[in-house]
Amino acid sequence: MFFHISMEKNMQLHPRHFGPHLRDKLVAKLMKDVEGTCSGRHGFVVAITGVDDIGKGLMREGTGFVTFPVRYQCVVFRPFKGEILEAVVTMVNKMGFFAEAGPVQIFVSNHLIPDDMEFQTGDVPNYTTSDRSVRIQKDSEVRLKIIGTRVDATEIFCIGTIKDDFLGVINDPGAAA
Amino acid sequence: MSLAAESPLQSSSSSDDFAAFLDAELDADSSNSSPNDETNDDEEIDLKEERIKRHKVEMSETIEVIESSKIADVNKEKSESTKPNLCPHPGFIKGLCLICGQMEEDDGSGVALSYIHKDLKLGSHEMNRLRGADLRNLLREKKLILVLDLDHTLLNSTRLADVTTDEDHLLKQADLLQDDPNRSLFKLGSMHMLTKLRPFVRTFLKEASPMFEMYVYTMAERCYALEMARLLDPSNIYFNSKVISQSDCTQRHQKGLDVVLGAESVVVILDDTELVWQKHKDNLIVMERYHYFASSCHQFGFNVKSLSQCKKDESDTEGALANVLNVLRRVHQMFFDPALDTDLSSRDVREMLKKVRQDVLHGCKIAFSRVFPSTVRAADQHIWRIAEQLGALCTTDVDSSVTHVVSTDTGTAKARWAVQNEKFLVNPRWVEAANYFWCRQKEDDYVV
Repeated sequence: MFFHISMEKNMQLHPRHFGPHLRDKLVAKLMKDVEGTCSGRHGFVVAITGVDDIGKGLMREGTGFVTFPVRYQCVVFRPFKGEILEAVVTMVNKMGFFAEAGPVQIFVSNHLIPDDMEFQTGDVPNYTTSDRSVRIQKDSEVRLKIIGTRVDATEIFCIGTIKDDFLGVINDPGAAA
Repeated sequence: MSLAAESPLQSSSSSDDFAAFLDAELDADSSNSSPNDETNDDEEIDLKEERIKRHKVEMSETIEVIESSKIADVNKEKSESTKPNLCPHPGFIKGLCLICGQMEEDDGSGVALSYIHKDLKLGSHEMNRLRGADLRNLLREKKLILVLDLDHTLLNSTRLADVTTDEDHLLKQADLLQDDPNRSLFKLGSMHMLTKLRPFVRTFLKEASPMFEMYVYTMAERCYALEMARLLDPSNIYFNSKVISQSDCTQRHQKGLDVVLGAESVVVILDDTELVWQKHKDNLIVMERYHYFASSCHQFGFNVKSLSQCKKDESDTEGALANVLNVLRRVHQMFFDPALDTDLSSRDVREMLKKVRQDVLHGCKIAFSRVFPSTVRAADQHIWRIAEQLGALCTTDVDSSVTHVVSTDTGTAKARWAVQNEKFLVNPRWVEAANYFWCRQKEDDYVV
């Protein structure tokens, strides 16, 4: 789920950036450092929407670096247990399939794939129903529910299911006839 | 329905905080809904209630717990499979149970299958279940399993530092052929290696692929294994998620079929060393080693010039891989022979291999002379056992039924007897050749 929250970070700036564009350089550095990272508590920082406040800079003893506490607003993405997401399948094997919903990777084990879908090995490994009406392969879009999440310092990994109602393939890229 | 308070979940991740928080806040509104539950058996009514309270976060496990405790008519499958206390925890990926998503309690009993995903661990029960399911699929598609070794079996590699002066032309050749899709010589700058694929290997893989599901199992490092798999299989059709390397072995210096998700009765192994497959000798086909580079010859103590130094190569259509392909075809044919009475799932590829082996030297009776000392137990000798596996009868003494005398010296009593009685006199390499080529070789090529 996406959230719009306020966060604070202490940014260190090298003296070469001190000048008329100090604030801009600080914001640019903040964006470069923070966007795309993941924290355990908030999830993935998708984008910074604005800077609220930049506090007074504090010089560090011994070096010329100055630390500014920056308060900013950003959009974060964090998956929760029980949440329903759409994801794109990246890899299919006999244990299940891996899907990605933005920066988060989700694994759906074959236990949580409906029983009528069977794994077919071959050039393009896929899960398909016996009448071949529904097929899950690489680059298919699926709707899945998150069963469990594991939050590391740098990434979030989830286990999902498609065994419930209204879950499963949305769009099959290989579907022709 | 105070779900949060009664929740039996003990999930340690903070993922529930948000949900629990929301639920706690919204609990005050929902406490008057419990009388409705007792009158409604249907799930659908439950869903309607959820829809009314749209902002309530759905926690499926707890709903099941409430349902099963209050309602007689329970959707048993759903509750049993998602209830955390009854979840069998078949395996874990990154510490999360595959079915219920709970964090793993580390008891170390799982088998780490890091070649599929670096954090995947499966319990033995689950592995057996997967093996059974896989077996059914394979038998239905008429396929067996083939486990391939890399070094000296399908290819030969040498470090760039070990390339001798008379092999220098190979380096230039590798650079020249960079764009040729059919080349066999590859220079890997990142790993400082020069690799030569065995002749016929691409055709071998293409022909074997409809009959076998293939795995790569090597004692080399993972990055090397993946790189070689990429050279052999650029479109990733054959070895997708099936490259097993040294770090996946459960025992040091031993390869095992415990990390292969396939039933032992349908696995055929192709390797140049017997030593690493102690537990699965019956599934093993020993291949002749492919020594292309000089460094490889030296490693094994051979002082002859290697194939690269002589500017030669193994024959494409009559080399070791072509031979083995024929053997594999025969085994596959025998296994899926519709004329056989036994049920497919009870057939064993090891029996088939034995039968094919027995045919090679069938009808031969061999006596050995000056091959091993007479003080040791003859039946323990390596060459004796190979000959017996190949279907020959072995004996220590010569008599009229003996057809071949294997000797290293023409002067021995048995050797002279053989010449006198017009029996075949061959050197021990004849037996080895029969083992590698899977057919009886011309005795004239192996005179002492």
